[in-house]
Amino acid sequence: MERDRLAAFLDQIATRYHLVAPVAEDGVVDYRRVDDARKVVLDELSTVPPKTHFFPQTEELYSYSTVTGLEIKEIVGAPAAVLFGVRPCDLKGFLALDPVFAGRFRDPYYWSKRERTIIIGLSCTTVQSTCFCQAFGGSPVDGEGADVLFTPLEAVYLVEILTSKGEQLAAEFSTFLGTEGVEEALRGKEALARELDGRFIRQVDLEGVKEKADRMFDHPYWRRLARRCLGCGICTFLCPTCHCFDVVDENRGDRTGLRVRCWDSCMFTDFTLHTSGHNPRPSKTERLRNRILHKLKYHLDRYGLHGCVGCGRCVAKCPVNIDITKVIAEIREVD
Amino acid sequence: MRDTVTQLRKEAARLLKEGSVKYVIGYAQGTDVARAAPFFATVPGQVNTLTWTPFCVPNLVKYLLDFRYEDARLAVVVKGCDSRAVNRLIQDHQFPRERVVVLAVSCGGMLDRDKVLAVVEPGAALLEVEDRGADYVLKTDRGEFVFEKREALLAKCLECVDNAPVVADLVVGRQVSPPGRPGVDRFAAVRALERLDAAARSAFWDRHFSRCLRCFACRNVCPACNCKECSLEQAVPGWQQGVCWLSKRTSLGLNHMFHLIRMYHVTGRCIDCGECARVCPVNIPLRELYRKVAKDANELLGMSLPGLDPEEKPLLTTYQATDPDEFM
Amino acid sequence: MSHENPLLPRPATIQKIIPETGDVKTFRLTLDDAEAMAAWHHEPGQLGMLSVFGVGEAMFSISSSPTRREYIEFSIKRMGKVTRALHELEAGCQVGLRGPYGNHFPYEKFKGKDLLFVGGGIGLAPLRSLIDFVLAEENRGDYGRVEILYGARSYDDLCFKYDVLDGWVRQPGTVVYTTIDRAEERWTGHVGFVPAYLEEVAPTPENKYALICGPPVMIKFVMQALQKLGFREEQIYSTLELRMKCGIGKCGRCNIGSKFVCLEGPVFNMVEIGQLPPEF
Repeated sequence: MERDRLAAFLDQIATRYHLVAPVAEDGVVDYRRVDDARKVVLDELSTVPPKTHFFPQTEELYSYSTVTGLEIKEIVGAPAAVLFGVRPCDLKGFLALDPVFAGRFRDPYYWSKRERTIIIGLSCTTVQSTCFCQAFGGSPVDGEGADVLFTPLEAVYLVEILTSKGEQLAAEFSTFLGTEGVEEALRGKEALARELDGRFIRQVDLEGVKEKADRMFDHPYWRRLARRCLGCGICTFLCPTCHCFDVVDENRGDRTGLRVRCWDSCMFTDFTLHTSGHNPRPSKTERLRNRILHKLKYHLDRYGLHGCVGCGRCVAKCPVNIDITKVIAEIREVD
Repeated sequence: MRDTVTQLRKEAARLLKEGSVKYVIGYAQGTDVARAAPFFATVPGQVNTLTWTPFCVPNLVKYLLDFRYEDARLAVVVKGCDSRAVNRLIQDHQFPRERVVVLAVSCGGMLDRDKVLAVVEPGAALLEVEDRGADYVLKTDRGEFVFEKREALLAKCLECVDNAPVVADLVVGRQVSPPGRPGVDRFAAVRALERLDAAARSAFWDRHFSRCLRCFACRNVCPACNCKECSLEQAVPGWQQGVCWLSKRTSLGLNHMFHLIRMYHVTGRCIDCGECARVCPVNIPLRELYRKVAKDANELLGMSLPGLDPEEKPLLTTYQATDPDEFM
Repeated sequence: MSHENPLLPRPATIQKIIPETGDVKTFRLTLDDAEAMAAWHHEPGQLGMLSVFGVGEAMFSISSSPTRREYIEFSIKRMGKVTRALHELEAGCQVGLRGPYGNHFPYEKFKGKDLLFVGGGIGLAPLRSLIDFVLAEENRGDYGRVEILYGARSYDDLCFKYDVLDGWVRQPGTVVYTTIDRAEERWTGHVGFVPAYLEEVAPTPENKYALICGPPVMIKFVMQALQKLGFREEQIYSTLELRMKCGIGKCGRCNIGSKFVCLEGPVFNMVEIGQLPPEF
């Protein structure tokens, strides 16, 4: 696709689908529904990952009424959407979340959106100082998880159709796509990949880390690391693979109300607090250890997929510089 | 700044060697050139990790509360703005004065990370920093860089006209001038917001609050927030039975409630260190909320900046017969 | 209403409330939808999520055996927000039910063996689903001798008195040992803590499985007592409980290491528990 046709393409999509794309507001980039392609920003990694589209911060599960007998009405269902501009690390994030919401109990809230959304990935053209997708098998031009992958080159976008959903979209908007210069564009993408490959500042070596972490459960390292943790939810909320949630009832006082789910964080004090007062993770030490082990080990054990995608958001935004790339290095170093 | 670092390490080593403190809470070089991370030294051998650079932004005083119930003495490195938090914790009876050794440093201002990273490679190693008064010279392994304070400091530092620590057991390093110009009005942004009509002000805050993720970073970093269980999180088993004042779910209305209730809760306690706005991952200009009530408290009740005087009674626990009461 | 939605509760009605102790009640429920009730099947040891709409939802052990087809029982101690609300309900009230969740006691493995049940306080509730299952006419022949050792703080705190002091006692091939912590006038039975009583009774370990459920400190000392009596870890099962919200392995809260207690638990063999990180 010619680069200057992107805006028209997106505007056209917006007439037929909910178009969700990165927009900037007050220096924060997040994925929102857009009706005007000019609002879309594509030059940086979003602040908040696009998991919000499939797993929003707050989601109403159902309404209830006990006015005349018990009535429960589920609130599920999603409009057809196109999620545009998803980075390769965030695509891996979706792949990591999928098995969580699938399995024996399939979550209809997540899947109704997942199935009705066409994902257009966007290769990166820069590597930020906090990026380390390579450590977890990713790359700035890897479209795995997308239905279509756009790679920005000098004059054109290389548009790769990866799935049947992608084919469907390509057919619908075929007037924007051409096959002239595809060979050259493919070579351009390879050149971009090679160029970016050398730009990663953070060199993360995962060799033996999972096994070592396994043996380190009682190691004093976790206590030292956790001392500076604030116990906030920034790392978990900005993480593409974090999925913990709370379920709360909202009671209107008139025998009707809602049950709602919202983001929760294993870093919060009462995450595992029992009604009896017992808390298996009573301090920041246990909670931070659990988080790191979940990202480096538990997710991998359960689903065969890495729990971290190397997006670097937690590294960028942690107020006290708890840096998972440094933690990985320190796990290798400590006795 | 080299002298400051040397002296800091010397004092820390002495305190730890004597056994008079269990931890020295200071700063260590962070994981890129423009960051410093809080560091807890427990033995003299660790003091060489302590550093002092214009990236030592976090307010370390909040960590005292993590040791509330341990019978331990702690040393904490504070800048002028941070030091007010020590007085506030003492005033609220959250931490006893005898258990803290305040290592005060004269701060010439903290550099804005983004402005530095625009010029210096993030992977560079910071070797040394020189404070020349009007600018900083950063000496790295990839070259030397000069940053004029007027251009590159954090906004909050450009407003700082008094960097003298309000409480100190030891003052480390030589005195440097505060980086702000005299006559700066700390309520300027609040006044600008007050001048907007109600609809515009509402739209302003709606826009910002709608982004709130309820991560609680602002609350957790704040030295004024010291409740053991926060009423704004959700019904906690065993404490608020049957009451769910505010769950962790977001909605515009609930986000307003969270921020405005917290704003009232910190009235008279906020020391204006600005950490809340720094840590917010979605750039909500929180400081202006707390400055608004501070301005009101100042105008209505004569409150000056909290934390200046350890003997001062907290604002909302005292009253005079002459306090304004036109709302009654 | 779609029941492919695992987060959606089914309406259920409280048929009967049986007060067990000062703070424990057994709720006997039926699903409102007759077809769903007929199709309901749980295994001994499984869990269910009960909702009091407008208050919340919480996970409880199902205390009735699946052989009782007409109802589903939960024995619930009044402790927090949801349990307090449940305790204020009456027969005829509607609640929400999701489940059954979790794994179950591996009763297939127990066939042909003797069974020793050791319970403390409300901990008897999950064990009861298996006890009644084993003692049920259609299953009794599959299992050997049943020994039940149960204790509570006081006579009042004994749950399921109608089973413990009557029903189970009269079962063939079944012996029940009951104890309370401190002597009381109306109690002529054994006085003392469960672990000590266990050592007194000294059940033999041969051809037997032991199932323990109760407060963590009791489990710890019972484990020690059992090992002193010669039981190996592989012979011992217990249940773990953690705070739960979704019950279906998604909200991330109930993990111990890589396992979710709502999916891979609550029933664990002692060997498995030994392999889990000590975070429960």
